[in-house]
Amino acid sequence: MVNVENLNVKFGENHVIHDVNFIVNQGEIIGLFGISGAGKTTIVRVLTCQIEKKHWTGNVKVTDLSPAKKTNHSLILTNIGYVPQLELLNLYFDLSPIDNVEVFTSTYGKNKKEAIKIAKSLFKILDLPEDTWNKRVKHMSGGEKKRLSMAIGLIHRPSVLFLDEPTTGVDASKRYDILTYLKKLNQTLNTTMFIITHDLESALICDKAAILREGKLLEFDTPQKLISSLPSKGLVARFTVEHLNEKLIDYIKKFSAIKTLLRVGNEEIEVLMDDFEENLPKLIQYMIDNNIKINSMSKDFASFRRYFQIRIQEEEEKEKKFKDSEGD
Amino acid sequence: MMRLKKKSLRLNFEKFSNEITNLKMSILRIVKQVKKEFRLLWADKFNIMLAIVMPPLIIVMLGFTMTDDSNQMQSIPCIVVSYDSNTFINENDLVESKLDHYAIPYLNAVNKSDLLDLVRFYNATEEIYAMEQARNALISGSIKVILSIPVAFTEMLEWGLPGLIDCILDASNILYIQQSLNAVYDSIKIFINDTNLTPQFEVHGFEEFTIPEGYSSSFNSSIVMALSFMVFGIAFVLSILVIVQEKPIARLLLTPLKRSEILTSKYIAYMLVLLLQVTLLVITSLSMGLYLAGSILDLFIALFIIGFSGLALGVFISSQSKTKTQANQLFLAAYLVIILLSGIFIPIENMPSFLQFFAYVLPLSHGDPMIRGIITKGQHVFGMHFFWLFIISLILIIISFVIFRRRKYEV
Repeated sequence: MVNVENLNVKFGENHVIHDVNFIVNQGEIIGLFGISGAGKTTIVRVLTCQIEKKHWTGNVKVTDLSPAKKTNHSLILTNIGYVPQLELLNLYFDLSPIDNVEVFTSTYGKNKKEAIKIAKSLFKILDLPEDTWNKRVKHMSGGEKKRLSMAIGLIHRPSVLFLDEPTTGVDASKRYDILTYLKKLNQTLNTTMFIITHDLESALICDKAAILREGKLLEFDTPQKLISSLPSKGLVARFTVEHLNEKLIDYIKKFSAIKTLLRVGNEEIEVLMDDFEENLPKLIQYMIDNNIKINSMSKDFASFRRYFQIRIQEEEEKEKKFKDSEGD
Repeated sequence: MMRLKKKSLRLNFEKFSNEITNLKMSILRIVKQVKKEFRLLWADKFNIMLAIVMPPLIIVMLGFTMTDDSNQMQSIPCIVVSYDSNTFINENDLVESKLDHYAIPYLNAVNKSDLLDLVRFYNATEEIYAMEQARNALISGSIKVILSIPVAFTEMLEWGLPGLIDCILDASNILYIQQSLNAVYDSIKIFINDTNLTPQFEVHGFEEFTIPEGYSSSFNSSIVMALSFMVFGIAFVLSILVIVQEKPIARLLLTPLKRSEILTSKYIAYMLVLLLQVTLLVITSLSMGLYLAGSILDLFIALFIIGFSGLALGVFISSQSKTKTQANQLFLAAYLVIILLSGIFIPIENMPSFLQFFAYVLPLSHGDPMIRGIITKGQHVFGMHFFWLFIISLILIIISFVIFRRRKYEV
């Protein structure tokens, strides 16, 4: 469905994407994760024909068509849908949802009646109240606008849907609703979805997660596999330690089996170790022996958020070491 | 008692000092906010430049256009038609006519006057269509005055009677009436100085330009000026935000829709609105008592092309403006300049030559005379003014397409 081979993007001297490779199959949900400036949007902009060919190299195919050829743009744009981060860019606030549907479907040359039928079915999947369908968009709530925006992105039944920060600006409880709706749409329509996001909870619905940092693709796999690649398949021990400070943390880190230690709260740390089950009692003993007061302890599997944090931290440390060695 | 008084004084002092501290804090906060405002203003340099540079620029332009000299036309183009001739039979038995001897000094006086420009002279006894040709010239706008020397003008002056020169003015534009009269006075003055005779002259508005009884002259004189302003201004203001305001254009570009299609559809939609607007304007003007010398279709087409030029200019400004404020600022600046240089307040011919060139590029400089010509003189729409308006609009549309093609959109 989407093939990216050796993608490099350069704007003048600024090399923003470095040798990115990935393959996405029909019906998959891909999460593009990374901190700001990682290159998520740039990759999507290449895939959606928004960046001129002179700025990028590589073999890229979207629905078996290359965005490198200008003659393919119209077909690619017919095959894809896009849901921008801001509804303001996607919806005419002074028109009704049905009018908006008409505006966007007309650009694909679709039949109006059929489009409205599709729209209504999408509105129903997305639980858009029927009494809002013919009222001006500006009177809808934030969540309703977000869902309408998604419906507009899918109105022409695209093979691939790109969503830019779909959960941004939505309050915590509604965030999960949006993710649920996306999964529902994906399952109902079998649409391939690309989700550009900072929200690591979005990995919950992703079949594959792409982690990007400074234009490089660090990982591209299922979230479960990525988590399993952590020491002891991602088993984590969480401790609440009294009077936790940097000195204490450094002391705990001296326990040789610890692979990664993360401070996750004021008095909370999470620890990843090799041979978790064997080493956990030893670590507890080590802490007691050294008068480190443990208030509580639990064990769990690492979340994707934790995996992301660890992976980025690793990369930063690697880079720091490299820079230090270069300095020496 | 004293202690209580002291305590109360101390309390008042503390209160006062607190007030002063609060005031100081408030001033400090305001200063910081003012600084922030300037920073924000400075962030949009083009806007601030418009706000600061444009008003003095307009004053400078006013200075160039509204001088005392500009109230005086350089020279009024005119035609002299003389009926004052001696007819006789020459030796070949043919009828011949010769200008009578006081027609020639008046012709010389016209030639001598700096305020009149003699475009043509007709001896009406030889050219029977002289007055008709002169009238055609007046209708076409190539002259502003016909001076008609009557039969027996010479005899009347010789017998001490007032010789009446008919002065037929182009009264379609109020700006030219006084100037034309001044110019004719000048020629009479020169004639009196040269001959020591005193002719009189009678002024007529060209009868074909006059409004028949039953029509309001004040309504007609004001509507002539207002129509072109109105149709241009409304189309201009309506289209000024058409691109800059529409945020979802960025998203539309991620569909198979092309930029040229977006812009074309905007022109079509606004042209349809213009069509309705012009139809209503024509209907209401006529029903309110507009006396139209020309045809309704000509007026309709003329108003449409004027509105279309306003639309083209509005879309052009909108396509190159980054923000709504910028578009509004540019609208105001452009409209002021267009009105000022339209020739409605100061004849374009009286402006400095560099401003004349600039004025002729602007749409209303062609729109106003075109409408005036159709309404008051019964001219046809398809002339130089129409051609220029069409060219100006076309150029603006082409530039708008180029700018819009290059405009950056990101979703």
